[in-house]
Amino acid sequence: MHVTRHEQVGLTRRGVSRRSFLHAVSAGAVAAGTLSFRDLLSLQAAELRKQGRSMILLWMAGGPSQFETFDPKPDHENGGQTEAIATSVPGIRIANGWEKTAQVMDDIALIRSMTNKEGNHQRATYQIHTGYVPSGSVKHPSFASSIAKQISSEDLDLPAFVSVGQTEGAGFLGVEYEPFVVQSPGEMPRNVAATVTNDRVKQRLGLFSKLEGEFAERGGRDIVESQRQLYNKTANLVLSEQTKAFDISEEPDELKAAYGDTEFGRGCLLARRLVETGVSFVEVRKQGWDTHEDLYDRVSNLSAEVDPAYATLITDLKQRGLLEKTVVVWMGEFGRTPKITPRGGRNHYPRAFNLALAGGGIKGGQIIGSTTDDGSAVEDRPVSVPDLLCSLCHSLDVNPRHEHISPLGRPMKIVDGGEVVSELFA
Amino acid sequence: MKVTSLTGLLVLLAMILPVKSGEKPEFLPQLTSTDALSVAEQVDSLLDASFVEQGVTPTAPAHDEDFLRRVTLDLAGRIPTPAELTRFRQAGEAGKRPLVIDKLLETDEYAATWASYWREVIYSRATESRSRRSQGIFQKWMTEQLSENRPWDEITIDLLTATGDTQVEGSTGFLFAHGGDPAELAGETSRIFLGIQIQCANCHDHPYDQWKRQDFHELAAFFPRVRVRSQKDGDKRTFIVESADKERGRGGNFDPQRVFKFLDRDRDGKLTAEEAQRNKQFGKRFARVIEIGDKDGDGALSQAEIKNLPMPQQGQGRGTPEYFMPDLDNPSEPGTKTEPVFFVDEASVPFGTKDLDRRSSLADAMTSPENPWFARAFVNRVWAEMVGQGFYTPIDDMGPERVAQQQEVLDTLAAGFVANAYDIKWLFRTIANTRAYQRSVQTEDEEPLPAFAAMTPTRLRGDQIYNSIAQVLGGMTDAGPNLAQGKGMGMRGMSGPERQRAAFGQLFNYDPSTPQADIVGSIPQALFMMNSQVTNAASGKGQLKRLLKSTDNDSLALKAIYVRVLSRKPTDAELSICQEHITDVEDRTEAYENILWSLMNSSEFLTKR
Repeated sequence: MHVTRHEQVGLTRRGVSRRSFLHAVSAGAVAAGTLSFRDLLSLQAAELRKQGRSMILLWMAGGPSQFETFDPKPDHENGGQTEAIATSVPGIRIANGWEKTAQVMDDIALIRSMTNKEGNHQRATYQIHTGYVPSGSVKHPSFASSIAKQISSEDLDLPAFVSVGQTEGAGFLGVEYEPFVVQSPGEMPRNVAATVTNDRVKQRLGLFSKLEGEFAERGGRDIVESQRQLYNKTANLVLSEQTKAFDISEEPDELKAAYGDTEFGRGCLLARRLVETGVSFVEVRKQGWDTHEDLYDRVSNLSAEVDPAYATLITDLKQRGLLEKTVVVWMGEFGRTPKITPRGGRNHYPRAFNLALAGGGIKGGQIIGSTTDDGSAVEDRPVSVPDLLCSLCHSLDVNPRHEHISPLGRPMKIVDGGEVVSELFA
Repeated sequence: MKVTSLTGLLVLLAMILPVKSGEKPEFLPQLTSTDALSVAEQVDSLLDASFVEQGVTPTAPAHDEDFLRRVTLDLAGRIPTPAELTRFRQAGEAGKRPLVIDKLLETDEYAATWASYWREVIYSRATESRSRRSQGIFQKWMTEQLSENRPWDEITIDLLTATGDTQVEGSTGFLFAHGGDPAELAGETSRIFLGIQIQCANCHDHPYDQWKRQDFHELAAFFPRVRVRSQKDGDKRTFIVESADKERGRGGNFDPQRVFKFLDRDRDGKLTAEEAQRNKQFGKRFARVIEIGDKDGDGALSQAEIKNLPMPQQGQGRGTPEYFMPDLDNPSEPGTKTEPVFFVDEASVPFGTKDLDRRSSLADAMTSPENPWFARAFVNRVWAEMVGQGFYTPIDDMGPERVAQQQEVLDTLAAGFVANAYDIKWLFRTIANTRAYQRSVQTEDEEPLPAFAAMTPTRLRGDQIYNSIAQVLGGMTDAGPNLAQGKGMGMRGMSGPERQRAAFGQLFNYDPSTPQADIVGSIPQALFMMNSQVTNAASGKGQLKRLLKSTDNDSLALKAIYVRVLSRKPTDAELSICQEHITDVEDRTEAYENILWSLMNSSEFLTKR
């Protein structure tokens, strides 16, 4: 991991303060003068413990079919025409179309016994992204935002949570942990580069924060405070060298080709660069898995894009020594029905589905759980969504029972219920 | 009330319809008079009495400049111009506020801004993402309705009973937004039009809610025959919302024995491709069916093979003439056939009722003055948007188990709204004329006041921010190249300015049903305000250049900038901060660019105060 020395700009009521020496402390805390030197030291120690942990979520939006990915059933009619191929791990077979992933199976643990109840895209996506089923009254912070809040480094100028494609937000955790959404991976996101010199930017920010004080006193305090946090974060981003991470053009052509010259390929390469820079959580979305019809054609197009990107991501992280601290999750919101419909597709099926995990201390080359021969039910070792999230917390060294307090004073655990799937960890 | 025949249905309709003539239903309070100003007065009397009882004093009335900015944002979706501010300040006191309210309600901007509000309400939760390409068509239709001031019940009925090409008929927007899916439509119909989150009962009963899982699915049973069909016409693809009253060959009542008997002409116990052609639909799909169902590989289907054909396992409600409530323990089973019943008044229609009859009977029952939630839901939304806080929060989660703040005030407004036959402008006029709407924001040094004793500042919607930036810059022309890069659905066929607005909206819009506390800015928004061509377009040229040329007096120039951007004069403290900055920077133009930039990036600029 490379750490750039940089200057942090903090907005205070008196203007801009420049500090290039206090890396590990939030601008707000220093500005408020509430931290002693001793506090600073212990804060730094806490940061060091968690340094470098991160997660990449490869989200297969629409719900990927387990039969056509990592739980093929070639010997049962429900398996359809999909074949099983051998992998680098004897005894583990996955669906055809995933030949490159098969070669890195030593690093991958498959869970074939995921089970859940939500069969509607939005509800299931929300539930897996937040750990809670949607409710009209509370907007739950996303798991990613909770994780970012727990493990992100104050050293980082980039947002702690970056998503290629729209995703669930931070809810009451606030602006600082909102996902920074990238629409065209590989390119510098729009408006990140300032149109005036950095000195002028700082000059403007100084004036801006002095003027904000007036509205705060006239009843806008909360709004001003939230705007200040946002502009702190944004100014650090604009003025930072770290924004280079968004630009993949300097990567070797060979590596870019291995990831694939596709949106998902570029997204995965971007994910590696961001994690390397210190971003805590990156999500990369691949749309199109809602295969109610034309199952085989559609899945083979999808896997042609996802397979090389996914496998290269794991190899690339490993070669750079990042895989040990980065947990990579491949999954969607549910699986698909065992029986193939008359339209040649599969419908939604949350009862038994699969996912793949790698890195972050996960023991690769193993399968957790299994489904019945016809794929209609989990046969052994059912794993629930809370179990999965607890396991991810374990990998990230985060206490899943840590409580965030909602604005109405209601404590909310990062994960409610569930247990770590201990077999995942060596 | 259960209705079991078509005649029964007619009787039911006849029972519902006559009530719609503005008679006051029992649940709403008696009003002394129903015109806007007197209902506004009744609202304020109720609130005043409540504040006296609580021993609190509401904040003072807002200054003219604050009031004009607020009401112009609410009713015209933009900040006032400096000229409008001057004219309003100079006008004689008597009656100028009611007058400006009436004037704003007659502008085209009124219809446009509220149409964009409703566009966001509907499309922020759209489950059929392809529907976003029809957003513009919906918005145009909604603008026309609001401009003509069509009553809210008529608009609602249109939205629920629409059919036609989604690229032509804007009223199909709501149904298309959910791809005609009965469960999604049930949830959203109830949430948007009644303020009741019955979709929470989709999967299980809530112990603390009156309405159960059965009620939700009975509501969904009004929609199984809504079909959204893709249609290709040359290069153009569109979607048609229509009624599917006929069997459609998949799922539903597919009877293998009957099909077999009908098609097997030579009675050899096998269906060949040729025989299958007797039924057009089946013929078309025969190759596919053979691929899946022909177990012995003889290229024909036996009776047993037909029987074992896989049936659609989920979404039974979709495309079948009746709705099936899913069996949660066995999601692959068809579930229970469910009759349409409206949970509020138990009005129902029998199995077999045609699509449009189903939807109309639901729309009529929903919009009946006997249904308390319909008027309340609309009043609660508009009040929350204008006053900054709803009677219920979140605004779309009302219902008998929730507690409202100032329930009597809500019901007074609802009664007036019903008595005025759901006249939308009447409601705006009433609310805008209340003292509750016209109070100032509470400053820091006071004890926090109860709801509606002070104006609650709220964040502007994307559309309002866009209009306000345009207003400050005197048009958005300079913004063109930067904004138009936005790629997105629904921009096809848009003019340059519409495209810019849509691209801006993708960045700044939010779901208006979200509680204010959850609405925060995003880094991409801040990046846009800080670095985009738009805010920097204000630099050195145009407006600012002319202003600096016209005067050397900084105090005058600063006042002009403040009035233009924040619709108010600067305070003494602000003047001295700015003057100090001008001295520090030395280059006068640069200093003013910085000041303008700071004001446009300020939280106050993005806030209705």
